[in-house]
Amino acid sequence: MKIEPLLAVTRRLAAPVDLTTMLQEVIGAATEVLDAERGSVWLYDRAAHELVLQVSTGMEQVRVPADSGIVGSCAQGRQVINVRDCYADPRFNPALDRKTHYRTRCMLTLPLVDHKDVLVGVLQVLNKKDGVFDEADESMATSLAAQCAVALQRARMIEDLIDGEKMRREIEMAREVQTGTLPATMPEIEGYDVYGMSRPADRTGGDTFDVSCVPAGVVLVLGDATGHGLAPALHITQMHAMLRMAMRLGADIDAAVLHLNNQLGEVMPDDRFITAFIGVLDPATHVLRYHSAGQAPILHFSAAQGECRTYRPTTFPLGAMPAPSVREAVKMLLAPGDILVLISDGVYEYANGEQEMFGEDRVAAIVGANRFAGARGLTDKVLAGLAQFAGDVPQEDDITLLFVKRDMPASGRWFARSFDSIPATVAFRREFFLDNGIADSLAYAVDFTIEELFTNMVKYGNMSRQDIRIELRGAGSGIEVVLVDPGADRFDVTEAPDVDVSRGAADRRPGGLGLHLIRRMVDSIDYEYDAPTRTGRTSFRKTAC
Amino acid sequence: MLTLDSNPDGTVRICGRLDAAQAGAAQAFLDRAEGSVVLDCSGLEYLSSAGLGVLLKTQKRLMAHAGQLRLTKVNRHIRDIFKYSGFDNILQIESDE
Repeated sequence: MKIEPLLAVTRRLAAPVDLTTMLQEVIGAATEVLDAERGSVWLYDRAAHELVLQVSTGMEQVRVPADSGIVGSCAQGRQVINVRDCYADPRFNPALDRKTHYRTRCMLTLPLVDHKDVLVGVLQVLNKKDGVFDEADESMATSLAAQCAVALQRARMIEDLIDGEKMRREIEMAREVQTGTLPATMPEIEGYDVYGMSRPADRTGGDTFDVSCVPAGVVLVLGDATGHGLAPALHITQMHAMLRMAMRLGADIDAAVLHLNNQLGEVMPDDRFITAFIGVLDPATHVLRYHSAGQAPILHFSAAQGECRTYRPTTFPLGAMPAPSVREAVKMLLAPGDILVLISDGVYEYANGEQEMFGEDRVAAIVGANRFAGARGLTDKVLAGLAQFAGDVPQEDDITLLFVKRDMPASGRWFARSFDSIPATVAFRREFFLDNGIADSLAYAVDFTIEELFTNMVKYGNMSRQDIRIELRGAGSGIEVVLVDPGADRFDVTEAPDVDVSRGAADRRPGGLGLHLIRRMVDSIDYEYDAPTRTGRTSFRKTAC
Repeated sequence: MLTLDSNPDGTVRICGRLDAAQAGAAQAFLDRAEGSVVLDCSGLEYLSSAGLGVLLKTQKRLMAHAGQLRLTKVNRHIRDIFKYSGFDNILQIESDE
């Protein structure tokens, strides 16, 4: 056995080279060590179950099924096949010879199996220069093949890693492009609370949102470009920029959407489009004019009704096809306490382990249950609900949320720390309900709860002589009440024990009953205590069922 | 505001809001009642736990002398309060329907 060339090959194969160079090294070594005219390597393509002739001296790439011909037999059987007279062997396919004007006399075919017993491919050497391949050649080739297989597998893995790294860098760049255009801070809008956020997935998509003040009002955008990677990120950024420019120049929303659609249609590939909600809110009249180009659902929480209404798209996605005109923007009136909920499909279509989607009903329920929270609080509640729903299923699509909440009417007043103040608290509550159209069906529970909390503060205020403040905030079907108790000891009403209401008259005491009852009458009660100022704050919420 | 009046037929008519501010006055009125008392609640708009305390104390006192308190024409909100507090087992209650 020629041991020296084999050792030289071992050293050469150890160098970290790319796959193409590695294949050339393997073939060069094989022809040299085995004294052959030509050599070739067939790499196994597991996905296609084919053998691919990657590099061969004097030949072009060829694909064959992984179980046909001599190479196929070799791959399947993982055995050396030594054919001393090719044209006498029925498995031999002379087509390649004809194509390359070459005559294969004899051939040694070896399986390339790595150290983990994984089939990497097949090594073939043709035409021993002085005769045919013998048993010594077979033995030599087997040692060579073992080393080649490991080296090739390593080169392939390095190539995969490089491809992965390229993709990772592209994704990183796409993410930078995409997130770079998102508003860094939320604008202050009189009478409104606005909050938006976007969390790209690992394989970034093309979500965006925008809140910006222009002469016509507040521009609200939520968009999602189809596809993943750099292209959708660029498209959505382009849309973002075009729209901002148009609106800042004072364009009407209808004209802006029409031109945006047609311009995007010209620059985007035919199979790409952008779904987008584009609206302009006039904070003075509370009228929102919008187009929803394939973006749905749009949720509108009505404080008067106490529930979310769902709106569908008003037109087809942007860039999908040219349009000669657009219909006039749809109008939506935001009443006090109303919430506009713009959320991308990455939230609605987030599936849990049971392949069930998060869906709009869950979002609507969370919004309804947290109607007194601010825009940021609502975002956090939806994200928390989503996280709980999804469990350990990873995020696959971008998640974007934009909440626009019109402030609720609010009023506060101080009351003397005395039972005698109770009629005044009731009058204050009545006036607030009347002024703000709050459902009368809530009155009993609200009066009852205020009275119980207020009398509790009077009784257990630990000699505090300071007034007690009542703050009311609400609209339509719901109200939030806060009682501020300054100069008092800590007393958390939410921790007060329940009363055994099954006892007879002789065993009953009236104490504790009020707190027992209010916990059953309102939606939720919270207590906070600020030790430095010795101020307790008890808040509760009551909505019409 | 809260008013309590004795009707000629012996029943007591209670009107308005029986809250913590009015509990003292209501208690003083009912402390004078004896035997079995029928409380006509058709004009009673509101009752808080302070009011429940008044009714409980009155019921205990009357029961000790073989009497009792009976409430008639109780509105839905107040009936709910009695139910949630278990007072529907302590007092004899008739609704306004």
